[in-house]
Amino acid sequence: MAILDKVKEALEPLGAKVEEVRPGYITASISVENLKKAAQLLFNLGFDHVVSVEGVDWIKDNEIEVAYHAASYEPELHGVIVKLSTRVPRDKPELETLIDVWPSALYPERETWEMLGVVFKGHPELKRLLLPPDYQGPPPLRKDYKVPEEGFIVDLTRKQ
Amino acid sequence: MTTGTIGRIVDFVLSPHIFAPLIYPGLLAATLVLLTLIWAERKMTAKVQLRYGPLYVLKPLGGAIQLIADAIKFMFQEPIMPRNADKWVFALAPVAMMAFTIIPFAFIPAAPGFVGVDVEYSLPLVLSLSALIPPLILATSWAANNKFTLLGGVREAFMMVAYEVSLFIAAFAVASYYGTLSLSKIVEAQSVPGIILNPIAAGVFFVTMLMTASKLPYDIVEGEQEIVAGPFTEYSGILYMLVMGASYMELYVLSLVFVELFLGGWKPVIPALASIHPAFEGISLFIKAYLVLLFAVFLRSVYARYRLDQALEIGWKKLFPLALLSVIWSLALLLVAGGA
Amino acid sequence: MTSQGSSEPRASPYFWYRLMGRDEEGYDVYELFIGPQHPASGHMRIIVRLDGDIIVDAEPDIGYVHRTMEKLAEGREYIKNIPLFERATIIDAANITWGYVRAVEQLLGLEAPPRAEYLRTLLAEINRIASHLYGFGIAGIMLNHSTMFMWAFGDREVWVQLAEDLTGARLTHSYIIPGGVRRNLPQDFREKALKAIRYMEKRLQDYERIFVKNPVIIARYVDVGVIKADEAKRLGIVGPNLRAAGVRYDARIAEKYGAYPELEFEIPVREEGDAMARLLVRIEEIRQSMSIIKQILDKIPDGPIFHEKYYRMLPPKLKEFVESTGRLKLPGAFIRLKPEPGEAVARVEMGHGEVFYHIVSDGSIKPYRVRVITPAFRNVVLYRYLTRGARFMDLPAIYGSIDYFPPEGDR
Repeated sequence: MAILDKVKEALEPLGAKVEEVRPGYITASISVENLKKAAQLLFNLGFDHVVSVEGVDWIKDNEIEVAYHAASYEPELHGVIVKLSTRVPRDKPELETLIDVWPSALYPERETWEMLGVVFKGHPELKRLLLPPDYQGPPPLRKDYKVPEEGFIVDLTRKQ
Repeated sequence: MTTGTIGRIVDFVLSPHIFAPLIYPGLLAATLVLLTLIWAERKMTAKVQLRYGPLYVLKPLGGAIQLIADAIKFMFQEPIMPRNADKWVFALAPVAMMAFTIIPFAFIPAAPGFVGVDVEYSLPLVLSLSALIPPLILATSWAANNKFTLLGGVREAFMMVAYEVSLFIAAFAVASYYGTLSLSKIVEAQSVPGIILNPIAAGVFFVTMLMTASKLPYDIVEGEQEIVAGPFTEYSGILYMLVMGASYMELYVLSLVFVELFLGGWKPVIPALASIHPAFEGISLFIKAYLVLLFAVFLRSVYARYRLDQALEIGWKKLFPLALLSVIWSLALLLVAGGA
Repeated sequence: MTSQGSSEPRASPYFWYRLMGRDEEGYDVYELFIGPQHPASGHMRIIVRLDGDIIVDAEPDIGYVHRTMEKLAEGREYIKNIPLFERATIIDAANITWGYVRAVEQLLGLEAPPRAEYLRTLLAEINRIASHLYGFGIAGIMLNHSTMFMWAFGDREVWVQLAEDLTGARLTHSYIIPGGVRRNLPQDFREKALKAIRYMEKRLQDYERIFVKNPVIIARYVDVGVIKADEAKRLGIVGPNLRAAGVRYDARIAEKYGAYPELEFEIPVREEGDAMARLLVRIEEIRQSMSIIKQILDKIPDGPIFHEKYYRMLPPKLKEFVESTGRLKLPGAFIRLKPEPGEAVARVEMGHGEVFYHIVSDGSIKPYRVRVITPAFRNVVLYRYLTRGARFMDLPAIYGSIDYFPPEGDR
């Protein structure tokens, strides 16, 4: 497929592992250092927005995979999604923000920071979005997060 | 003439000085208008919008006494006073507002010679009294000490200067044609309804009337979608009833003036009726005013709300020149007709 | 709403002056907290900073109806997540679950039979119309046009009942399941649908007379909240808001799913990018959806409505029941769907725009990670972009015109 070759040509010099897992779904994993360069290259190929920014907590590997799903509004790239992903250590999940390349990552990055504790360096407003502003505790979408359960009777006098 | 104590009381009550301000067209009739008009408004809107509207309070009459139920509810509701409000102004401004909508009834003639206080300058007097309400709205908005009420007050201040000028000029355009500022004399002199003689003035007066009472499409001051209820956001209970009632009362006062200026006042559509019983004249005025009111509130189911700057533009750039034009029109008519 | 400003008692006459302090950019800023308890905020808060009547900044503060769907989805079997995601956009339940089902089907290597794909498309279009009508109603009441509000919500009932005829539920259909659909087409559905279409066509003309061509609406909507094509692309806008800005993008043609490749329809596009264009695009989409429904009713093929692989598992008695009533019973093994390890993505065009699912499977009966990006979440940035420099009274107009649905944005 032509578009797969183009993505391969662009990203493989940066050390990315590019494959087409399903028709129209290309994954490319890359190191943290080269992420921004790769994003810029993808943008130049015509992938003009990100559909989603997300984190997957691979607790067994002690890593968090941060994935950008880039897509395009151009008719020739319809139906193609490229997942550009990188892995960061769980105890220090930091990477550079990509909102300079894709402004559409503004809110999803903020949500990923909130839900998985991934710090996007250079992001202008990493603050609570969906959770209450006074939320204390670990990022809830990590796999080791224990959902606090309430019994049938809630003791209102108990100190939280 | 009836004699005895009862007779004297009846005479006293029926004398214009009491009857006009308190019973008709004053307080009692105004309350009736308030209770039925809001019901009629809701019923009409419901008809347009394919629903029932008020229904369950007195079902055989289609929920006609819904507003009485609402009024009772408001009476017994706790009027909440915000902690940071300026309490005296907050409580007294609605009362004063209501008072200023009722005082004009003393000067509005209901039938030939039937007026509480007959003054030569009843037209400017009535209009000036209703022009006292916007400052009171400003006072409420300031006293409530809330961001939304303050914005509502600012909107009222903007709107006030935009409509009051045109309202007065349109009214004086008619007065200048008849050469008098007395409402009774204007009605007496009206052989042809004013709306045919000076349709521009009638149009301007009607639109500014809507702006004054903040009815759609000019309900900007109470813009629910932006500022909750504008200056009245913090009101509840009986105080809320007063501020809401005041805008309908104001509309009623102005529609009485509208009828007297443009629709022949108390002169019945069928002149023969007047000769049967003089009461028909009063009834005729009331019916005309009520129809004007119904039309004014019906606009709610047709129009959306204009933006503040658009309404100001309409006020200053369209209504104001039109109002001036209506004066010229009146003067031209005077020249052509050779004076009234 | 005074909570931020007046939590301290009024100490001095300079109270208002302090509220109206200048911000760092030098504006005389008056800060307003609109929502979550406000007649026109919905389940969200918009923090508006005003300079006079001009909006300097409107910051959407969402999350008031966040239901932790992505976390909940990790703890449930694949099939149980369908009723969960349905509740993100309850007014458009068919479309939002279809995206999830498509992703699961890719993981399982399933494909629904053609008749099932047609039935899914049918329900999706009914939902799209209902969703747009909901949007109209909100757009109307945001301008205090209560007639439009009542009409649209009343007419939405027609389509909700049509969906009920098809699926058995008014809103939470759970109709689209991996491998097929839950119910066959009822006998008298065709007549009912055609009647609904005839009614709606008449009503659309009424809408035009009272709302679209109303001088007040024209004054409020034309040239308000303008976004142009390049900006819309940059911000990743989706749905009618994108198409009103002149970008011809629709997941139905981009992804070629369901029965859409076999149907003829147009993607309405307008160049203006203002609130009026967004309104007109939605009206045209309702027309297109009705045309699609007509085509489906003509073209729908016969055949099974559920994938053979799972249908075979049913005991003979249940098979008989399914054949005679057209109502599907699920085999017991269906609850323990176990896809291969791997990942899949799916995009589906909802009424509000494109919904995106990314499912990561680790080979167990529960998904390892489900990522859902709803159209409302992607459009939330529009509050900031469109309101800057607008008049304060334009805020509800813009809110209504972008058809934002807070529970969908919060998930």
